[in-house]
Amino acid sequence: MEESIFGALQLLVVGMITVFLILTIVINLGKALIVLVNKFAPAEETSPKKNPTAATNSIDANTQAIIKATVDKLTNGKGTVTHITKI
Amino acid sequence: MNEIFNNLYEMTALSNLIADPSYLIMYAIAFVLLYLGIVKHYEPLLLIPIAFGVLIANFPGGEMGVLQASETGEIIKDGKVYNIWEMSLPAIAHDLGLMNFLYYMLIKTGFLPPIIFMGVGALTDFGPMLRNLRLSIFGAAAQLGIFAVLICSFLMGFTLKEAASLGIIGGADGPTAIYTTIKLAPHLLGPIAIAAYSYMALVPVIIPLVVKLTCSKKELMINMKEQDKLYPSKNEIKNMRVIKIIFPIAVTTVVAIFVPSAVSLIGMLMFGNLLKEIGSDTSRLFDTVSNSIMNTATVFLGLCVGATMTVQAFLNWTTIGIVVGGFLAFALSITSGIMMVKVVNLFSKKKINPLIGATGLSAVPMASRVCNEIATKYDPKNHVLNYCMSSNISGVIGSAVAAGVLISFLS
Repeated sequence: MEESIFGALQLLVVGMITVFLILTIVINLGKALIVLVNKFAPAEETSPKKNPTAATNSIDANTQAIIKATVDKLTNGKGTVTHITKI
Repeated sequence: MNEIFNNLYEMTALSNLIADPSYLIMYAIAFVLLYLGIVKHYEPLLLIPIAFGVLIANFPGGEMGVLQASETGEIIKDGKVYNIWEMSLPAIAHDLGLMNFLYYMLIKTGFLPPIIFMGVGALTDFGPMLRNLRLSIFGAAAQLGIFAVLICSFLMGFTLKEAASLGIIGGADGPTAIYTTIKLAPHLLGPIAIAAYSYMALVPVIIPLVVKLTCSKKELMINMKEQDKLYPSKNEIKNMRVIKIIFPIAVTTVVAIFVPSAVSLIGMLMFGNLLKEIGSDTSRLFDTVSNSIMNTATVFLGLCVGATMTVQAFLNWTTIGIVVGGFLAFALSITSGIMMVKVVNLFSKKKINPLIGATGLSAVPMASRVCNEIATKYDPKNHVLNYCMSSNISGVIGSAVAAGVLISFLS
């Protein structure tokens, strides 16, 4: 790169164009992803949440609450407890 | 007896302090930074290690100050010349002290900035950006300050490489500023790192100042949620989880193809984010990256950056020029983001609050929090945090790309 004011101006032009270009690509990439995911992998239909209590009468409420809290933390709130079996 | 007292006096730092009172200025700077971090809560996780680094680096005889190497790697200590590139790490620790060992191992090698980016990625949620993709473009506009200050600094007498390192402060991204400076002008790393991190910590002061000078009350009261109701978005997201997993992989691939020199930053940012988004399968890695690794890296980065701010390195005209130029870069980046929003508002029915442009620089999420506070001050119901996060996160990508361009053209 030439050590002159033209070199600095060239960097300004090239740099700003590149940043705009890359972010425009990222934005359009995001839009394309949304369209594709909406088409090919829309959210799985969530079945009505089963009440784990009904299936696990033998486990006390306190233990169930601890298990639910642990699953919630480990899955970042995405997982649900549907059945608890004592082994 | 007199000799004993004389030796005792010489043993303490008092003799040096009396001989060179400029150390007191550095203590004052350290105390002000500590005050801002502890009492005012300005980025305490960052500012307190930096401020303490400044403090311990400036006790004569303590050997905790980082000795800056010249462009050829030469360091002069106690009249003896060392070449940092020819010294082993144990020799650095033995001859130059613990802080120089940490600095040359973790910072000068460029190790910590990508590691910090990985932690930042793990703590970043791309959800607000994906929900408001249109606003992400303001993350590009806010990079203008980098290049504008590059030109100003060049005209002031800095070389292009030095000017680029100075300009990158305008990206408001500490790790990016350090990484770029290591590649382009390593001899300026100390003052640039200090300026970058100090201004990042002072975001709650600088953004309101620039906003006050450039925005009207009417503009600041533009309610983004009401605008969304009037002109709803066409991009409804049906499965955010899948998009959030694919997005970091896709962005890394695209950026790697176009600007390979930005991959070390963007790649690590996206890797950290991917670990977060995958969920339970990588939760242990996510936990390590976002807590243990990130916290360790922050502690060492903060202390080492602070320790570069020795009286010899800081109180000179080059450093003062960098501090002034850095502020200009920072303010210009915020202003250019705001101005682009104003231009878009001229042509668009759906109005945008200019605060979204002000967050186009990095400093995630502090810039967004500050702008949200400004918006709610004018209208308590106008929460713009999610919208600001969109341009704020894209600003991280934008500044890393700008750094990549500078490194590609100048190194």
